[in-house]
Formats: sequence, structure tokens, C-alpha cells
Amino acid sequence: MAAPVPPGAPRPGANARQQSPHPNFNPNFQTNPNSLADNMQNMNLNRPHSMPNSGPRPSPFGQPPPFPQSSVTAGFPVASPPMSRPGPPPGMVGRPAVIPAGPLQSTLPANVPPGRPVGLPVSHPLPFGSRPPPASLSSSTGGAVLPSSAFPSSGVSSASAAPPPPGTRPSSFVSSSPLTGGPAGPMSSARAGPSSNGPPAVGAGALPGAPQFPPPAIVSQPPVGPPPSMMSARAPAQAPTMRSVLGSSAVSSPQTPPLPSASSPFPAMTQARPPPPGSPYGPQTWSMQPQQGTQPPHIPGSTHAQPPRMFGMPQQALPNQAMTNIPPALGQPGAPMSGSSKIDPNQIPRPIPNATPIVYETRHGNSANPPPPATSDYIVRDTGNCSPRYMRCTINQIPCTGDLLTTSAMQLALLVQPMALPHPSEDPIQVVDFGESGPVRCSRCKGYINPFMKFIDQGRKFICNLCGFTDDTPRDYHCNLGPDGRRRDADERPELCRGTVEFVASKEYMVRDPMPAVYFFLIDVSMNAVQTGATAAACSAINQVISDLPEGTRTQVGIATFDSTIHFYNLKRALQQPLMLIVPDIQDVYTPLETDVIVQLSECRQHLELLLENIPTMFQTSTTAESCFGAAIKAAFLAMKSIGGKLLVFQSVLPSVGIGALSSREAEGRTNISASEKEAHKLLQPADKILKTMAIEFAEYQVCVDVFVTTQTYVDIASISVIPRTTGGQVYYYYPFSAVSDPAKLYNDLRWNITRPQGFEAVMRVRCSQGIQVQDYSGNFCKRIPTDVDLAGIDCDKCILVTLKHDDKLQDGSECGFQCALLYTTVYGQRRIRVTNLSLPCTNMLSNLFRSADLDTQFTCFLKQAAIEIPTCPLLQVRDHVTNLCINILLSYRKFCATVSSTGQLILPEALKLLPLYTLALIKSRGLRNDGRIDDRSFWFNYVSSLSTPLAIPLVYPRMFAIHNVDTKVIKFLVGLWSKVF
Amino acid sequence: MSEMANMDPEGIDAVRMTWNVWPRTKVEASKCVIPLAASIAPIRPHTDIPMLPYAPLRCKTCSAVLNAFARVDFMAKIWICPFCYQRNHFPPHYAMISETNLPGELYPQYTTVQYALQSFPDPNNSNAPQLPPVFVFVLDTCMIEEELEFVKSAMKQAIGLLPEHALVGFVSFGTQVQVHELGFSDMSKVYVFRGSKEISREQVLEHLGLGSAGRRPTVGYPKVLHNGYANTGVNRFLLPASDCEYTLDTLLDELQTDQWPVQAGHRASRCTGVALSVSAGLLAACLPGTGARIIALVGGPCTEGPGTIVSKDLSEPVRSHKDLDKDAAPYFKKAVKFYDSLAKQLVSQGHVLDLFASALDQVGVAEMKVAVERTGGLVVLAESFGHSVFKDSFKRVFEDGEHSLGLCFNGMLEINCSKDIKIQGVIGPCTSLEKKGPNVADTVIGEGNTTAWKMCGLNKSTSLTVLFDLSSTERSNVPGAANSQFYLQFLTSYQDPEGKTMLRVTTVTRQWVDSTVSSEELLRGFDQETAAVVMARITSLKMETEEGFDATRWLDRNLIRLCSKFGDYRKDDPSSFTLNPCFSLFPQFMFNLRRSQFVQVFNNSPDETAYFRMLLNRENITNAAVMIQPSLISYSFNSLPQPALLDVASISADRILLLDSYFSIVVFHGMTIAQWRNMGYQNQPEHQAFAELLQAPQADAQMIIQERFPVPRLVVCDQHGSQARFLLAKLNPSATYNNSSDIAAGSDIIFTDDVSLQVFFEHLQRLAVQS
Repeated sequence: MAAPVPPGAPRPGANARQQSPHPNFNPNFQTNPNSLADNMQNMNLNRPHSMPNSGPRPSPFGQPPPFPQSSVTAGFPVASPPMSRPGPPPGMVGRPAVIPAGPLQSTLPANVPPGRPVGLPVSHPLPFGSRPPPASLSSSTGGAVLPSSAFPSSGVSSASAAPPPPGTRPSSFVSSSPLTGGPAGPMSSARAGPSSNGPPAVGAGALPGAPQFPPPAIVSQPPVGPPPSMMSARAPAQAPTMRSVLGSSAVSSPQTPPLPSASSPFPAMTQARPPPPGSPYGPQTWSMQPQQGTQPPHIPGSTHAQPPRMFGMPQQALPNQAMTNIPPALGQPGAPMSGSSKIDPNQIPRPIPNATPIVYETRHGNSANPPPPATSDYIVRDTGNCSPRYMRCTINQIPCTGDLLTTSAMQLALLVQPMALPHPSEDPIQVVDFGESGPVRCSRCKGYINPFMKFIDQGRKFICNLCGFTDDTPRDYHCNLGPDGRRRDADERPELCRGTVEFVASKEYMVRDPMPAVYFFLIDVSMNAVQTGATAAACSAINQVISDLPEGTRTQVGIATFDSTIHFYNLKRALQQPLMLIVPDIQDVYTPLETDVIVQLSECRQHLELLLENIPTMFQTSTTAESCFGAAIKAAFLAMKSIGGKLLVFQSVLPSVGIGALSSREAEGRTNISASEKEAHKLLQPADKILKTMAIEFAEYQVCVDVFVTTQTYVDIASISVIPRTTGGQVYYYYPFSAVSDPAKLYNDLRWNITRPQGFEAVMRVRCSQGIQVQDYSGNFCKRIPTDVDLAGIDCDKCILVTLKHDDKLQDGSECGFQCALLYTTVYGQRRIRVTNLSLPCTNMLSNLFRSADLDTQFTCFLKQAAIEIPTCPLLQVRDHVTNLCINILLSYRKFCATVSSTGQLILPEALKLLPLYTLALIKSRGLRNDGRIDDRSFWFNYVSSLSTPLAIPLVYPRMFAIHNVDTKVIKFLVGLWSKVF
Repeated sequence: MSEMANMDPEGIDAVRMTWNVWPRTKVEASKCVIPLAASIAPIRPHTDIPMLPYAPLRCKTCSAVLNAFARVDFMAKIWICPFCYQRNHFPPHYAMISETNLPGELYPQYTTVQYALQSFPDPNNSNAPQLPPVFVFVLDTCMIEEELEFVKSAMKQAIGLLPEHALVGFVSFGTQVQVHELGFSDMSKVYVFRGSKEISREQVLEHLGLGSAGRRPTVGYPKVLHNGYANTGVNRFLLPASDCEYTLDTLLDELQTDQWPVQAGHRASRCTGVALSVSAGLLAACLPGTGARIIALVGGPCTEGPGTIVSKDLSEPVRSHKDLDKDAAPYFKKAVKFYDSLAKQLVSQGHVLDLFASALDQVGVAEMKVAVERTGGLVVLAESFGHSVFKDSFKRVFEDGEHSLGLCFNGMLEINCSKDIKIQGVIGPCTSLEKKGPNVADTVIGEGNTTAWKMCGLNKSTSLTVLFDLSSTERSNVPGAANSQFYLQFLTSYQDPEGKTMLRVTTVTRQWVDSTVSSEELLRGFDQETAAVVMARITSLKMETEEGFDATRWLDRNLIRLCSKFGDYRKDDPSSFTLNPCFSLFPQFMFNLRRSQFVQVFNNSPDETAYFRMLLNRENITNAAVMIQPSLISYSFNSLPQPALLDVASISADRILLLDSYFSIVVFHGMTIAQWRNMGYQNQPEHQAFAELLQAPQADAQMIIQERFPVPRLVVCDQHGSQARFLLAKLNPSATYNNSSDIAAGSDIIFTDDVSLQVFFEHLQRLAVQS
């Protein structure tokens, strides 16, 4: 079994696993059982186990797609994935199970073995339901809960011992943990904890439930059973996506436990506002509470504790409990218990970020402070490190060696979003002007001055934190050092005390005058576009956003339309009407005017408005069905070539003529099924290199292309998207376009596109301390030399994944610095260098790595890597890869950090306990399914390539909100969320 | 013959021949030195030409048209073709024919008749214009604001002058070509073509949406049936002048100079070549048989795309004759090739290219010559669009009335001639249709290898030179009396300005003469003016087509041969040399030809040379002779205006000279006259005579100018003034600084080393009498 787990986890013996899992589970459970505690918890635990068992998963995965099946057969496996994530998503499913567990526990256990198949599922719902309450309870206990979870971990390590205390401790623990700064405490306990954590949690709650544990174990097996029931039960209530999750969760009723945990997290969050959380998980929690009340043990449900950490508390909790075991998550017991009867799908808890922002200081004392989850609401105080909005690392401590990193199986990468939107309450980024000479830089690596450069020799020299070179301080920048070894003026100079500053670029950073803000609109007026209302929608949206364009004489606009020819408009005309200039040669295009196609907004506003009103009617009777998208953007590009700028394209049909014409590959694929199956992913690749070549040229001339696809048919997004991706733009996709419902969204998207903070003609480079180097960048940009990325356009929503690798050893106890420098031009024509610094401690301890892992970032990293693979690998392989990424981490954790406790138990690092859940969600997301439309999938993975961390999770694991009785805070939150997403 | 020549040298037939009697054999003909040639003006109007409203009768074997020289058997209702002696029956509707009831074409004085043909019989409305003429204006926008304003106002005026039903299109170009869709009502709409890329006719049609594939119903456009064009969609671009005059006016008002930036030290990028291809492509969408002209208004050299004649870099000058000689004009051949293919396309469509070039530098007329000449287009070369040479000429093109050019379309010339006469080719504005026949000579000169030529555009004054040869077969066995006459028949069908199809038939007869027997007759048949012009045309052609051709030498040699053959002299005694009066002027013509811009090209740019030659080739003999040897008229107090010798000695302080060198007209005031004029005597009543004297040459100059197209440049100058060079350059340098001592007071000298006429004659006599 053991063997199976590690490798097995992957997939090896899916079948075998399933069987074996049981055994494993049992053992685990049994061990856990001690904690018996809450069936709920146990359940959770079990699930995790199942996770580990994931061995089984593989098969599930294979099957997963078909939820039903997977749920049933793979049930366990599936569940397992959820496990990781379990917390929240499973919550949905899982909880029910959990809840029941509480009440039913006894029964559950019994049921479990046999019950699983049938009974569990049913019961699960309730159990879950019950759990949430625990969460809520835990919330009430608040920190306590979390600690409890922490405890659990410890408990796990010292399984038996811990369990009992947990119950009591939880509260204390919680408090303590936060207080202690968790880290230390967690550390020790953590390791043990992890494994134990899960259990402990359970245990905590378990103590009481200890006895239950065993049952849970049983329960765990039951999970198998549960799935079906779950399926049936939930399916109706939950949303499809949820279902998938659920399904999985269902399978792993255990997961449900996690969910609870998840819920608990919320609660934790809620602690601040118990009620709100309540609402999310709310329903359940509330309902649960009662149960909890009845079932204290459940409450202890480490799960609760864990959840809180995950969401609201996470940060602190994490530090404390670096390792919690999610494994315990066997909701099984619970599930059977109350599941069938009490779980109200509407009340299934879900993750919700704190509505009340927490204040986060980037550095405490002299060390980096691990950031809050990306999806939470927080206010950053920049005390040396940059805000995590701009740059965050997958692990908040840097492994000293590449080997250590390899052992952990985690990724080391940065997610950089250099222009991210700050929280309104945060201080704006300070602008520093060094005048003619430009910012102080290291003369060797050219790193920019930052708070981590060390001044020595009375301030006469400074040592670069990136390359270690010692430079002379420029004379006029000299300042004496204070007694603490810092420059006396360090606090007055933003570049010496802030993680993020912006330097005014001097002449040497410009190859030409900073470009003006140029917006060129390109509108499809082919027959289809006009008749579906897409043209009118585009014109109306543009007309409305004209007033949102940056004011001033530097703003220039141009407009063109296209069908089988390209129509430019000369807006700078003395007389009454604009002049239409038609470019008919779409094989070899050109711009019809050098100057007057793009004119100052102030000079042409009236013409422009008139024109936009006229375009839809002018082409009303057009019968041209062809569209020369490729030629049109090339022509528009040629018009913009001399200055660069933003090209906004509204496209409605498959480009069928001219340069870069595309064929309806999707249909061809369908007719030839055998080919399509073998080569399915080929359809996700660009049809040819023409558009790519064009895109590179665009990028070179600083033209950033956004494409708004308003279509009702296949348009080959895979090919089209190459252009926005390479030029720092993005694809907007409205399918199937409806003239009734989409224009408002189109307008909103366009408006945000234009008004959001953004920059032009940007170059970005990330520098790292010696020992680490950038391996690769991925995102929407063009890369001509290995070290830099060229961004014709960069905006607050664009995020770039920067993978790192070791080229040397780092010193334990030292800090490793990262610096992202973005040279760009603002919309008002100023050339700026935004420098974002992050300095993280180095460690030799594997456990530290797990404890400081950043779940959101890691997962986003998975997501992006999967997105990169989708067009080039067969789908199965991509899914396997994703699964393995997750499994390998858990395996490593189990192997090196968990206590020897149980072989069949799933042990999750506290920080990453939702990883399996997210992973499952990812596997079920649109891009990794083969039943979707090609365009939908293409859009999905293109969308992912520039997606920011805070938005990545909701993409694969959507949040649901009941909106019939939400309170104002939630509304506020939702509004905030939408404004970010859409 | 000679009397007639004085009155109207071309007569009803508008045919003038170098030799009015022809030697019988090829050998004899070659001994005549001056080739057998005829200059014809195919549609020159003449009051005596009858208009016959029916179709001509054609000989069933040689398809020559029934004419006054046919022998008619009124009894048998048979006519015998004078060319092939075929007997043809008259058709039934000639049944009424009798000796006293002759159809027009059989009247002996009507050697030229004109038939009005009905190419598209329309019983309901036979008078309606069938196909309105099409005018596509192609306007260069790479010029300074001022020039553009000039040309715009000229265009507006022209459009106002067009017949209402004429279709108008508008294309402007600079770096790119803009085809204006005049029929689009929502806004001004233009199709833009890149200037750097050669574009085929099919592509143009496709891109304009006129191709067979793109001929979709263009909903939203006024669906007017413009004389059958509606189905092609071309009516989007070509609108009746009356409909689009306003549109065009506003469009021209808004039209700016080319907005593409011009680098310092560089020429504007101008894609004349593509603009013309695109215009030709646009016209290709018209129904076949439509008379259409492309009116190109060009303000500089083509520097972009096909047809480029020079690079954009200003440090590289436009090619000169020297460059062409040394093959140092890298763009020349390519450009000529391009325009050659454009010419082929236009000819196949039957459309005309008119070129109006105004620039201080060259614009590439030399390269475009082929397209203009083959299509029978008009050409005007001026310094500025504001200059009267352009303005007045341009107006003349569109004007109606007495001085109208009478622009006709789709002309076709066929020549029938008696057996044994071969046609070598035609020099002039036409294209060979490659219609082979027994009368086609082996050697080709000009447009040859055919007995039919296409003249896409022609007008009242268009002239062609037809070069003949004789069959090399020995014909001495043919009984001389049997056919002492030979016949030539010129058939010209064309569309007149109203769109009606006409056929003009000119039949001429001349005599064979056995020159071995009687060279006297031959001598009297010599037309020295025509001969000089034909020699000039042949020389020009040879200079253009033959590598390393030494024109002066060739002319000298021919002149010497001619003098040797036809002069009276004793061998080796120059002083004994005399020439028959029929030849007496010829050496002087040759002297002036040698000095003219046609032979001495190095004083001119290739563009100018091309321009001069095109006009030389298309003008009638009288005008062409003026180009070779200007006329000089002297005005003085004591006599009527009288011709003066074209000699520097004609200059006198108290005379006004009027020089007509065809391209320019110089009014030259003697020193004294100029002084008086400057003192304002002409304004004083008592010096009325002086005012009249001053006025007389001006009035005469205006008369000349009015009749001429292109309008000549009028130079008014004073003796010793800088502009006087226009006169001095044309005068015989009998007085130079070498012999300035024996000059009459008030006359002038010319600073040149050129030989004077006298020296030339001396040499000629010496060489002619050499044995």
C-alpha cells in the first residue's frame, strides 16, 4: 500500500488502488480513528487518505470527466483531489457527509464500510452540513479553531496525545498560534502536525471523536459509497462546476471534511464577522452549529480550524501550523450521519474572502512577512518588500539548493503583476526622480537601488543585494550611516524603504520620445457582424468610451472597418464629412495615408462620433460575408507603426480572406473523427505562422492588440489569439453573441480596457540574487532576448509567470532578493521605471518550504503551466501532469515531513491543503476537458496565460453566492469582485 | 499639282506623298534616295467631303471599298475593283444606278467620302448617342500647393465643358493611388492602391469590386442604368458629368497635396505608373467599344513602383540623353517596358492615354511616349500648370466649336493598295493590328507587319506617315500601258465625338513612271516639303530605335546622294552645280533639320525630345515643316509683313520679327523699336502707326496660337534681351563673332561655331559633284 501511495498516487493501479485504498484507509482511519473524534473530521482525514490513495485517483481522473462514473468508481480517488482543496469546494458536497457524521458518527462508522456505497452519500450531506457548523463554532472559538487544527497537526505527530488536548486547546491554541507567530510553534508541531494535523484536527475535535475516528476510517471507505449518493443528492442543488467538485468531493466524502475546514476558514474570516462568513458557508455553518453544539467533537473538527486558516486566517494559521494534515478529512462518518436528512444544498459553505480587509505589513522587524492569500481582501503597508499584489513567490522561503527544491516537488516561481491595482486604502507608489543621471544602479548587474542594498564604509559604498558587487556611492547620493547600519536618510527615501517605487526615466532610457496614447479601433462590418448587431454594439461601445480616453493633446485615435476590404477613415478633414479610404489589396496590405488616419482626439471628436453612428447603417445592406481580419490588423498596424499604441479589434466571423486567412478547422476535424481524436490538440495550435510573424512585428513597433470576439460561430481563437498574446493584449470572447445581452458587457469591458491603469512600450526584467536565476517567463508578451520581455502594452490585469532555477547554493539564513524592473510609458507620456523588490529568507529546511508555500501562487503556477501544455500535448497527458504535480508535492511532504503515523492516511501540508481540491477543479475546468468547443478551450487557456493570481482560483473553482438574501457587505464584495474580473 | 499645293496642299484627300510619281521598280525606287511615303490625315475635315448615310460596298476579294476609280458597267450592274480587278455585282439597292444617277462614292471629285455606320442598330432611337465617352482624370498630387490649385481649377473648368452625358471618373495619386468612388452618397469614398506594386488588370477589377466574382449587387447605390453599364458596377466610379460635377468640385476643393512625408533631399514618391495601370484597369470594366480617355495630369517624375524613371534621391538627376547613350539610365528600359505593356492593354481596350505634364524637371515623357503614341493620346509638356501652354491647351481639349480638336475614338485605319506596292509601316500615333496580307513588306519601319492599324484616339489633325516599298519582282514584263496608274485606298473607321461610328474612305491614284526613261517626270513629282518631313520622321525613329545611329551623317549622306542623282553639274566642278527648282529648298530643310531639336538632342532633355518627336509624327506636313524650319516674318514701318530669311541678318533695330518654330512663337523687337516702346510712344495718338506696328505681330501670333494644339509658348522679347535666345537659336549663323567685322549696323551676331548655311552649301556642292 505504502508503495502504491507514493507512486500509486500517480495512477499506477487505479483499480488496485481502489481496493487497496480501502485497506489503507482503514489503517489510516484506524490510526486516526483514535481521534475518531469527529466522524466528520475523520471523514476528512479519510478523504485525504483517499487522496494519497490517489493511487486510485488516477483512475478516477481518467474517468473523472464523466462525473457520475468517477464519482462512483473513482469515488475515492475523485474525492481525493477534492481533498486537497476539499476545504471549500467539497464543502459543498463533503459537508453534508460530514454533518451527518457528527450525529451519525456511530452509525457512520458502521455504515461506513458497508454504508459507503449507499448510505454514506446520503448521509454525507448532512454531515457536511454539520461540519460547517463546527466551522462556525470554531469561528466562535475563532482562533481556537485554527489552532486546534494546528494542534491537530501536532496532535497527529503525537497523535494520541494531541488529540485530547486539542479539544481544550483549540481556543488557546488558536490564540497562541497567532500570537506565537505560529511559525515556531507550528514548525515543530507542524511537521508532525501535518500528518497529524489532519488527524489532529480531527483529533481535536476528535478527542471526543477519537472513538469516532475508527469509524471515520470506515467512513473513509464509505466515501466510495458516498459519492453516488452525493452525486444524486447534490447534483440538483449545486451548480455544474460545483458538481464536478462535489462529485469528487462526494466520492471522497472525506473531502467534505476539508470543506468544512474550508468553511471553517471562512468562519475564521468571519470571526471578524461571523455572520457574513456564515452566509457563505453560512447556511451550513449555521445549521451546523446547532449540530456542533450537539457535537462538540465535530467542532473541534480540525477541519474547521483548518478552513479558517485557509481563507481568512490562513496567514497566521499557516505560520503557526505550517503543516496541518488535511488528510483527516474524512467526512464519511459525518456524511452518513446527518447527510441525507439535514443538508441543505443552499447552505453548503463556500470559501469567501474576508469582507473586512486585513492590514498586512510586508516586512516585520527585519524579515519578510508571508503574504495573505491572493484572493483575500487586504491592505498592504509596504515596509520594504513589495506588495504581494505586484509580485509573489510560490514559496515564501527560498530553498538553499536546487536539490531541496526538487525534493519538495514544488515549483519555484514568481507571479509578477507589475501594474496591479492597489487597494484604495493603500499608499500610492512613490515616484522618485534622480534627475538627469537616472536612478542609482549596480554597475555590474544593473540592479536598481532598493532597500536591500547594503551601505558600508560610512555610506561610501554599497553592496548589491542581487549580485553582491560593491559599488561606490555616487557623490551626491552619499549619506552617513546611523548606528543601526542603515543610512540616516533611509526612511525619507522611498527607494530605500519601500518595496515598490517608480523612478522617472532619464533620457538614456528612451530611444525616442515617449509615445502618445494611441487608440485604433478596427471594426468588423461583414454581413454577419452587421446582422447580429455586433457592429452596432462595437460602435456604440466605442462611442461611449471616447469620453473616457485620456484627456489632452497627446491622445490620438484612429478607426477602420473591414469586411473583404479594409476601410480607413480620414477624420481630419476641413469639410463636412470624413473620407473613407478603402484598401482593397488584402494579400499585401498597406496603409492608405501616412498621417491623417490617426489624429488627435481633440481634432476629430465630432467626426468620430458621427462616423460611429453612421457605420452600422452604412453597411446595413452589405452582403459581403468574408472577413479579412488578418489583413485588417496588418493594415491598421502599418498605420500605427510609426508611433505604436493600442489596437482594439472587434471581430465577428472567421477570417476567411486575405493575409492570415483561416479555415474552419473545427468542422474539418469533426468530419474526420479519427484524425481529430489523435490530433485533437492540433486544433488548439495556431493554424500557421503568418499571424505569429505578424504579431512579433507588431510587438516590435509597440502595437498592443486586444481582440473582442463577438461571434456566433467558430472563429479559430487558437490562431487569432496569437496576436494579442504576443503583443501584451488579450482576447475578449462573447459567444454566442447576443445583441440583447452582450453590448452592455462589451461596453463595460472596453471601458475597463481603456481606463484601467496601463502603460505602453514596456520592457520588463526580473533580476535575482546570485544563486537563483530566471528560467523562463510566460504570459502575454514578446520575448526577443532571453532576459527581457517586451510588452507593447501592459496593464493592471496582466500577470507574468517567472519560473526560477538554482544555479548555485544559497546561504541559509541569508535573504534572496528579487527585483522586477518595468520600464514603460504612462498614458500621459511619461517614461517611468517601476521597480518591485521582494526579499525572502533562504532555508535549508524542507519543512519550512512546505510551511511557507503559497497555495494561490502555486496553484496559479500549475494552472498556467497546464495552459501552456494544452495546445501541445494530448489532453490526457496534461491532466496526468497536473495531477502528478499535486501528488508529488503531497508525496514529498508525506515522505519527508509527515510523521510515520499512517500509511493509508492522506497527509496534507497545512499551507497546501486545498491544492488537491483545486487540482481537481482544474482538471475539470473547461480547458482540460475534451467535450467543449475548440474555441471555448482556446479562449480558456489564452485567458489563463495572463490571468492574475487573485482571479485564477475563481476561474477554476468558482464561488457561488446566494443573492436572494445577501447582506450589504457581500454585495459590496461582489461588486468589488466583478469590477476586477469584468 | 503645285498650284493645288499652294492653295491647300492636302486637298480633299489630306494625302501628301514624297513622290507623286513612282518609279516602277524597287531598284529605281531605292535610287531615288527619298523613300516612297505618304502623309495622311485620316479624318481631317473638308467641306467637300460628302457624307453617305449607308454602308459602303466592298470588293469581295480584296475588300476595298467602291470608289470613284472603279470602272462601272451600268448595264450589267457590275463594278470592277481597281485594286484587284475583281468584278463585283451591285447589290439590289444599287439597282437605280446609271450614268446619270451615281451614288456619292462614284463621283469623280469625291475621292474621299464618309459613311455614317450604324454599329448598334437601334430602330427606336437611332439618334441617341450609343456609348457616351468616358473621361478618367488622373491627377498627381505630389506638387506644391500653388501648382495643385492651378491644375484643380483647370480640371474644374474642363469638367464644366464636358458634354453632360460623358462619364467622368477621378483618380488621384501620389505615394499611393486613390480611386474615387463618385457614386457613393454616404461620404467621400476612395479605393487606395499602393504605389509600389505592379497590379494587373484583373487585380484592379477585383479590388474595385468590378471583377466577375466581385460583381455583386451593390445595394445602397443608386441603381441608375447608365447606358448599359449598370451591370458591371463601374457606374459607381464613372458618373455622367452632369451628375458628378458638384461632387467633383467639392472633392477637388478638399483634395490636398500628397500627405506622405518627403525626406529632405528627396523627391516626392509618385507612383504614376500604378496610377495609370489602375485607371486602365478601371476602364477595362467598361463595355468594349467604349471610347475612353485617361487624362493624366502629371507634375513630376515617377519615383515609385513600376514606371519609375529615377530614384527618390535628389542627388541623382533624371536621365539625360548622355545617360541613355551610355546606357547609364538604370530605370529607363524597365519603365519603357512597363509602359509598353500598358499601351498594349489600352490598345486592346481601345482606350486613350493623354498626358499633360507640367514640371520644371522631366516627368518621364520619354518613357511614357510609347503608351501615349500607340493609343493616339494627346501630349502637352509645360513648365507649370499655371502656364498658358498647359492651361489653354487643356481647355482646348474639351472645348467645342471652331477650334475644337474633334476628339474621336476607336479609330481603325486600313490601307488597300495596288498590287506590287508593299507597306513597310506607319510612323505616327497608332498601333499595328498585325493584319498580314500580300501588301505587307518584309522590312518594317515603325508600326508595320500589317495593313490595319488601331488608333484608339484621333482627332481632326492627326497625321500618319505611311512608308511604302515596291515588290522586288521584276515587272518589266507587265505591259506599262495596262496600268500606268496605281491606287491607294485609306479606310478609317472611328467613333466621332457624339459616339457615332463613321468610315472615311480616301482613294488616291498616282502614276507609275519609268524613271530610267524619264527622270524629268520623276523630278516634278517630288514634294520637297513632305520629303523633308518624312526624312525628319525617319531620322527620329532611327535615332530612337537604332543603336549608335549617327543622324547627321546619315542625313548628309542621303542629301549628297540625292544631289548627286538629281543635280545638274559637271563632275568634280562644284561651281557648276545647280538643282532643279523642285529640289531647291530641300538642302536648306536638311540644313535646318540637322540643327533642329530632332537631331541635335543634347540641348534638350529626353522628355522634350520625346515630346517634340511625338508632335512631329502626328502633325501635318505644313506644321511639321515649321518644326524643322521655322518661319520668320518681318514687320516694319515701310512694308507689309513679309517673310524674312531665317538668318541672323534679318535682325534689324527697326524691325519686329515674328518667329514661328511651332513649339514657341517669338515676337522679337529690334533695339530701336524696343526703346520706342519703352518710352511709350505707342500710347501717343500721333504715333498710332507705331502702336499698330507693335500690335500686328502680336495679333498674328495669337492667330497661330489659336489654331495650334498644343498651344505654343509665346515669347515676347527685345533685341539683346535674354529671351532673345529663342530666336537666335533658330537663325542661320551667317554672322558670328568670327566674321563680325562685316556686319550691318543694327543687325546682330550669334555666338556660335556652328556652320552657316553658306558653308554647308559649299560643302554639299563639293561632295555632290565628286565622282
